[in-house]
Amino acid sequence: MTTPPTIRRRVDPRAERAARTILTGQRPRLLRLPVAATTNERRRDPRAIRDAALVQHHPRPRYDWTRDAASAGIAPMMGAAIAAAPAPPLQVIAEPAYLILAMLDRPGGEVSEHDRQVIAAARLLADAGGGAVVTVSTGSGEALAVAGSDRHVALPDGWADDYVPERRAAAASALMEALSPRHILFPDSPDGADVARRVAAAAGERLFAGVQSLGPDRATRQSAGGSLETGHRPTRLMTVAADAFAPLDGVRHEARPLDLAAPQTAGEEVLPRLGGARRLSVDPDALSLSETDFILSAGNGVTDWGSFAELGEALGATRAGSRVVCDAGHLPRERQVGASGTVVSARCYLAFGIAGAPQHLQGITGVRHVIAINTDLHAEMIKRADLSIVADAQAVMPALIRLIRERRHA
Amino acid sequence: MIATALTTVVLAVLAIGAALAAWQSRRWLAGRPATVGVVAGLRALPGRYLVDVHHVVGRTPFNARFHALAAGGFLAAIGLLVAMGVGLAGWRIVWLLLAVVLAAMLAGSLMVWHRRRVVRPRELSQGRFARLPVSLLGFSACLLVVSLDQSLGGVMPEALALVLVAIAGLALADLVWGVWKGPLKHAVHGALHLAFHPRPARFHDGKGRDTGLKPLPLAPAEDAGLAEPGALGVERPVDFAWNRLLGFDACVQCGRCETACPAYAAGLPLNPKKLVQDLVAAMDSQASDAAYAGNPHPGRGVGNAHGGAALPLIGPDAMIHPDTLWSCTTCRACVQECPMMIEHVDAVVDLRRFQTLELGATPGKAAVMLEELRATDNPGGRALSRRWDWAADLSLPRLPAGGFCDTLLWVGDGAFDLRVQRSLRALVVLLRRAGVDFAVLGDEELDCGDVARRLGDEATFQSLATRNVATLNARRFNRIVTADPHALHTLRNEYPAFGGNWTVVHHTALLLELITNGALTVTRPVGRSVTFHDPCYLGRYNGEIEAPRALLDAIGVERREMLRSGLRSSCCGGGGGAPLTDVSGERRIPDVRMEHVRETGASMVAVACPNCALMLEGVVGPRPEVAEIAELVLAATETAR
Amino acid sequence: MHNVAVLLSIGRHPVSGRARRAATDAQALEMALALRPRRLTAIHAGPATDTEALRAYLGMGLERLTLLTLPEGTDPIEPLIAHLRQFDPSVVLTGRQAEDGEGSGMLPYLIARGLDAAVVPDVVRIGPTNAPDAMAGAADLVQALPRGQRRALTATGRFVATIHPSAPPARASAFGPARRGVIEPVAAQATADLFLSDCEHRPWRPKPKLMRVKRGGSALDRLKAATESKSGKGQLLVNPTAEAGALAIYDSLVEQGMLP
Repeated sequence: MTTPPTIRRRVDPRAERAARTILTGQRPRLLRLPVAATTNERRRDPRAIRDAALVQHHPRPRYDWTRDAASAGIAPMMGAAIAAAPAPPLQVIAEPAYLILAMLDRPGGEVSEHDRQVIAAARLLADAGGGAVVTVSTGSGEALAVAGSDRHVALPDGWADDYVPERRAAAASALMEALSPRHILFPDSPDGADVARRVAAAAGERLFAGVQSLGPDRATRQSAGGSLETGHRPTRLMTVAADAFAPLDGVRHEARPLDLAAPQTAGEEVLPRLGGARRLSVDPDALSLSETDFILSAGNGVTDWGSFAELGEALGATRAGSRVVCDAGHLPRERQVGASGTVVSARCYLAFGIAGAPQHLQGITGVRHVIAINTDLHAEMIKRADLSIVADAQAVMPALIRLIRERRHA
Repeated sequence: MIATALTTVVLAVLAIGAALAAWQSRRWLAGRPATVGVVAGLRALPGRYLVDVHHVVGRTPFNARFHALAAGGFLAAIGLLVAMGVGLAGWRIVWLLLAVVLAAMLAGSLMVWHRRRVVRPRELSQGRFARLPVSLLGFSACLLVVSLDQSLGGVMPEALALVLVAIAGLALADLVWGVWKGPLKHAVHGALHLAFHPRPARFHDGKGRDTGLKPLPLAPAEDAGLAEPGALGVERPVDFAWNRLLGFDACVQCGRCETACPAYAAGLPLNPKKLVQDLVAAMDSQASDAAYAGNPHPGRGVGNAHGGAALPLIGPDAMIHPDTLWSCTTCRACVQECPMMIEHVDAVVDLRRFQTLELGATPGKAAVMLEELRATDNPGGRALSRRWDWAADLSLPRLPAGGFCDTLLWVGDGAFDLRVQRSLRALVVLLRRAGVDFAVLGDEELDCGDVARRLGDEATFQSLATRNVATLNARRFNRIVTADPHALHTLRNEYPAFGGNWTVVHHTALLLELITNGALTVTRPVGRSVTFHDPCYLGRYNGEIEAPRALLDAIGVERREMLRSGLRSSCCGGGGGAPLTDVSGERRIPDVRMEHVRETGASMVAVACPNCALMLEGVVGPRPEVAEIAELVLAATETAR
Repeated sequence: MHNVAVLLSIGRHPVSGRARRAATDAQALEMALALRPRRLTAIHAGPATDTEALRAYLGMGLERLTLLTLPEGTDPIEPLIAHLRQFDPSVVLTGRQAEDGEGSGMLPYLIARGLDAAVVPDVVRIGPTNAPDAMAGAADLVQALPRGQRRALTATGRFVATIHPSAPPARASAFGPARRGVIEPVAAQATADLFLSDCEHRPWRPKPKLMRVKRGGSALDRLKAATESKSGKGQLLVNPTAEAGALAIYDSLVEQGMLP
């Protein structure tokens, strides 16, 4: 989605519809994107927008609706040939009025969903007055162009795998000094929020943590344990809550690399007091059920406990069970899922031989994806699951173990 | 000569017995002070023995008979022998009388022999108890010969008679030695316990039933006089009141509690007899349970527990393992069965009070539940308004402060549970159908505090109780009806101590009343075989066993009774916070109870308590259907469309 | 660990809003008690309202607790730093984020800055270091990461640790010791928090959850992905062969990112 205009426009649905019509096929087709016209007029002038969007006259008129009617003529004209799935036009902010910094996590080098959301939030602030978004992360900025980054500051690649938060904080502080951004946004993730707080403490500035909504004049966040909404002018340092902003889609920015030595120098100068960081290998069965993300659960329909344990190991999933299974002593009590056991919120719940007593279903209301294997087609669990397989757990478990091993060696 | 020897021996042995008893009293007198009516208690003693004790003992007629013969004969013989000592020795008629009572005692002793040495039920203790029939037989048989001989004029050689007297004297000495740590301790301590019982209201001369727990003073001012100000509950044996210790000492190890205990039946590490014996043993300064000769707590041996009168009772190596303490469902089956009128549940709750209030050692999910309860006034930590989610479409009338209604419906915490909501819906529809003027409290209904109190958290209970009482006293109503026997018991029997005195009825009683007076008409008799599972808190705690049965009969079920039903019903395992403390055993208590249901062959078991419904429905596999009684009544009174 | 300070706030139950011990602060106290320090200082800074809730911490076996009494609406950082300096703690433990008030999670960082200490967030375990090359006064810590992962690291010198909810659970609070414990009020000076009074507050209303929209594919696919119901409308395979069932599970797990 593109930036909502700041001044409320008068809505003219007929004109909207007309503006979205592309005259290519037999039938009129509507563009899904709203027309990106941020005119300051209260009434839209579809004709002007139409004229501005016109990129090709012959053989048939072609329109590019993403073009801004106000800035028509500034951007270079598109080529005549339009590909089947046209890449969104490159948006260039050559002379930014101000900068918005987005300090990204990029866990494992990947641009996470949360990172994209942070960039989207940064765009809200940048687009309000011709500012540019500067992303800061390890790795190159190429992948960030489609997420909405105008400039990119690459941190040294060697920093990607080390956990030295003090170094990242020093780099952010140095960038704050060097670029004087209007705002710096961080993801409100464990690591992002940690760096943000270090920067805020060092700068002696107020951190507006866990922003839920954002505009040029007002940011809001949850406070008092989630019971209050606190609003304020956007402060310089903010962290962006997860899943509060939709990541941008169908945009392309330049993500032009900025070559700055300041962050690296500042980072290397730090004498970290935290060190020797290393990941510990975690036994999934040692994790508490409320913490784990992937649960392999057994019910009364499981009799082959050897296979069950083997499958848990092969999947790297935390093993759990229904009340009956824990009563029978096949699993310890703290492994019980349900209203009287643990209420879980894993991302994936793989249930073998669980019929789905109401108390059990109460325990998995927060699970995103449920896969159920049960012999009874009418079991409640089968109805609840996102993928249901009516089969015997004893047959499927070894087959799944074999499949995982095959794929792993392949 | 014979008579003199006899009375000398008897008087000497009795004097030793009295000295032993006096020495023993030092152990239980070390307890905390208690206020008892000494004169009134002693005056009530014979009546309590003849009515209340016999009511319990009479449940097993054979035992009642041998006890009457052996104990009656023994006491009468002792009385006659003492009387002979003061000058009735020359009378043949006295000898003849003595021969008659000794013959009775001999008969009783043979029956004891038969039971202890031939039948040998599992629950009986061995050790000193195994010697009891020998001593009884020795005393009664030898003296019978002597007294018969004397009543006929004395044809036996004097030496032989003296030998017989000596044997009888030895047997008597063994019996009286039992006052120290053997079988006959129960005679002395049992009698004193009956007189100075901590719950005098439970006897026929009181209200006949006294099951509510007594409030524990929490305000710091009130325990200023104690040696250790501020310690709440019982940590060591000496923290019990003296008459409670006396009660434990009265235990005769008959094992009736053991056979009745649902936790023991399921193999949880609790044997109420051993629990009381642990307390008895712990009254000594250097104590161990090595001398105990009965069945242990399941899964735990004998001989590993050590303690003392001033040492903590609960601990992995102390006299009582924490698992034992937290296995109890507070169902009172042991109290119901105990011929010595021991209050096991009071002891368990007092011990739990110290664990929870002083150590915070409530196990498992119980501690989490208590914390949520303190913060939200309901065990699940939910918003109180969500208690009424299930009734959103029923638009239940709320009773505001100062308002009036005929019947106030107390729904309890079951209302948060999907299963229980179904039966509450049925009850509400029935009340509507019968035109009862009822209302609910709405968001001002808090948890009644039952579970918190059984888990020993008296502080949370009293906080809830005071606020609930204030809420209820601000409204006017004729009666409170509830479908939860735990709430019923708490409101009816435990809130009066906090200023709440109302008529509280169980919904089975109300529904029966509605059917009897024609407000509800049975249109579709159920016609299925149904067995009724008595909730402990309705049956044993409140004595209500008739109304639910009459109700079931009224809706036309073919009623079958389980072997354990009524006041002697067996617990579902849902009481006393047991599902939260979750001590594991060989089986689950509800599975054991479902076995009892299956034995009747009934196709359905009717329950009248949300806990029972949840516990019994949790039994897996093919099993009889579980139905709340209100659901059955609803189906049976469906109006034709 | 000679000298441990633990900062305790007054929590608020998310549903009832009643004052209680804050969950992670209680875990911080649990960890502090488990460290068996030679000296343990427990401090709460704030206005003298709801201080009865602090007794829940005393009920965990803490004998005394210092209450820095501050006027309503003031910033507790400065008085806390000033008070902590007197005790010179080697470790300061606290919860992750206050359950009440601003809850920005800044306090541990500002305290650390004031005491010139390192900050370690999301700690689940603290132990003395056993690395041979570690400097004196270093501590081995374990941090909780998302999805149940763990990271070990060492902290040199004085440090402030915030405790993660996955740390060992706090022991239950008992009524008796809570009643007997001592709360020592200490009056402190603090400056008004101007930022907080500049904010406007209103009750939080839950917002609709952001839907994850699939990128790419045809419009129909995206529409389907956006409108498909969460539960009850899943894929169903009736009596497939074991291999086919396993394959369906495998593909589904890969799609969910649970398997590589």
